Amino acid sequence: MAIDRLPRSVIEPVNPVLNASRRANLPHVPGIRIGDYLFLSGMGPIDPLTGERRHGPIADQVRTTLGNMKHMLESAGSSLERVVRVHVVLADIADIAEMDRVYREFFPVDPPARTAWAMQLRFGNGCEIECVALAGASQ
Amino acid sequence: MSLPREVVAPPEPVLGAGRVLASAAVRGGAFVFVSGLTAVDPATGEAIRGTTASETQRILENLELILEAAGSSLERVVKVNVLVHSMLEAPNMNEIYARFFPEPPPARTVCGARLPDGVKVMIECTALSDGDR
Repeated sequence: MAIDRLPRSVIEPVNPVLNASRRANLPHVPGIRIGDYLFLSGMGPIDPLTGERRHGPIADQVRTTLGNMKHMLESAGSSLERVVRVHVVLADIADIAEMDRVYREFFPVDPPARTAWAMQLRFGNGCEIECVALAGASQ
Repeated sequence: MSLPREVVAPPEPVLGAGRVLASAAVRGGAFVFVSGLTAVDPATGEAIRGTTASETQRILENLELILEAAGSSLERVVKVNVLVHSMLEAPNMNEIYARFFPEPPPARTVCGARLPDGVKVMIECTALSDGDR
């Protein structure tokens, strides 16, 4: 099937509080499914109960963000086990060891390809994480 | 039926000794996703710190090993992201980079970023797998 004929649809979280881009009136969706691939937007540490940004210790920020990513993927019928590529962006590269410590809890076996670096982030976020995943369940 | 997800494990320790947080590459359907690579001795997994040019050379040699292990090749790379510790060093990276990819080279983005452990360059890519010939 030609790529331009693949069906394209918006991914939205079951929990509407986590639709951060819509709530902040930003010009992007949480994710797009194209064919069997899911492309998620960069996600920050949003409290899934209140929708507020949680700017505590970096370990908490990473845990919140990856928990929200899990929810986003499961909302689209996928899962963390189906992630193929992750980008982890930190505000401070000194946080990388602490980020790694939490990250491995979420991807304990056969982890995705990953690139992690630091650069300026918006809204005072300590981390922002995006991913590409495969649709559906593992075979 | 969902696409198979396959972790690519090259025989060489190209991600560095003891690195278990990421797979070197993961294949999903038509695409191979390769992790951000830093300069590592593929025989020992030891980190190599040199110039931006020498680190670029080592990374792209290791990238070739990973793509081979994934049933892909430099010719089948579609998109590259290069992170350099300083954009002033981009020409030094470019000079080496240009020797690796046949014409026409893949799409690419280069940006300056803070990198861990004194790394000068990090390179990741997306390539087509042999399942899509």
